[in-house]
Amino acid sequence: MPETRWKEDEALLEQLRKGAPGAVEELFRLYQGKIFNLAMSILRNESDAEEATQDVFMTVIRKVNTFKGNSALYSWMYRICVNTCLMRLRGKRRNDTVTIEEFMPVFTEEGMHASPMDDWSKEVERKALNEELGKMIRKFTEELSEKYRVVFVLSDIEGLSNEETAKILGMTVPAVKSRLHRARLYLREQLARYLQEGKAD
Amino acid sequence: MNCKELAYLLADYLDGTMDTGMRAELAAHIAMCEPCMAFAKTYRTTCRKAAELRDDIEYRIPDEVRDRLASFLAAAAQKFPEKMEEYRRQAEQERGEKVLAFCQAAIEGKLSSMSSLLVETHFAICPECREYFVVLRKTRPILSLPPHEILEHVTRLLESLPPGEEFFLA
Repeated sequence: MPETRWKEDEALLEQLRKGAPGAVEELFRLYQGKIFNLAMSILRNESDAEEATQDVFMTVIRKVNTFKGNSALYSWMYRICVNTCLMRLRGKRRNDTVTIEEFMPVFTEEGMHASPMDDWSKEVERKALNEELGKMIRKFTEELSEKYRVVFVLSDIEGLSNEETAKILGMTVPAVKSRLHRARLYLREQLARYLQEGKAD
Repeated sequence: MNCKELAYLLADYLDGTMDTGMRAELAAHIAMCEPCMAFAKTYRTTCRKAAELRDDIEYRIPDEVRDRLASFLAAAAQKFPEKMEEYRRQAEQERGEKVLAFCQAAIEGKLSSMSSLLVETHFAICPECREYFVVLRKTRPILSLPPHEILEHVTRLLESLPPGEEFFLA
């Protein structure tokens, strides 16, 4: 996270704690998009995400004066958001995700790649493909089980460091890295299959 | 080094956290192995595209959702200054109740395995907390909140649990 963001957060936190006019509105202006997006990527349903977003902001308002501030405002908010969303998911059936194992690379007994490997890294650099590619990455991410999805969204899409993601999710850094790696292997394979299909058509 | 080992080490190789000896070994393999070259390149491209296309991947908040949330929060913001004390009391009360429930579960052996592990790890470096819980086990039930420092430590333990996870055994 850039230094400026951190400083802005500090100042905003100060204003919130004083109950300064406009502080809640500023908090909402800064974080509505981030929180709604994170809620959507966990809940995958707009009305659930709306309620969750509302809950997150209310929790922040209610707890800002007891928040110790040993973590940054945004990471505290992300954590509240993940917590709120996971609580909501509890008890709900969520069998609409893929089995990640089916997308892990396959090797021969000697540890060599078992299937031919196509290098499509240049192909996806075409600007015209970006919008479609974005949609596909979103779709494939949605199909991941939330255990991998949340890590992937925070680290690779949001661009948080593994340390930040670990802190938000209450995981160790090695655990974050390992989940992230598997999520990337999955997405790489999904994209490879998708581009291959495109060629066959 | 074979392709399988390489595939599992790829994240460390690409984020630069790998030591130089290992790096050289991976680089040498990749240079000689066409499938691994393709694999490494497409893996890296996958990560890069996820970041680059963030705006297309992320969910945009619909206008009507944003308007509804904004007016809800505007109302909450108006009441906020007068409610601040009440919120603080509530939050502190909630925290107190949670700490008490946690201590209770700890002395009754009803903590989840993750929480037990956190507690044990903490006891190893904090004799004050360890001692407090030893005494607590003998003098239960718990009638009042732990002293300030221990309260802080238990709160921190609770905060380090993964979101969405309860501290007690299901």
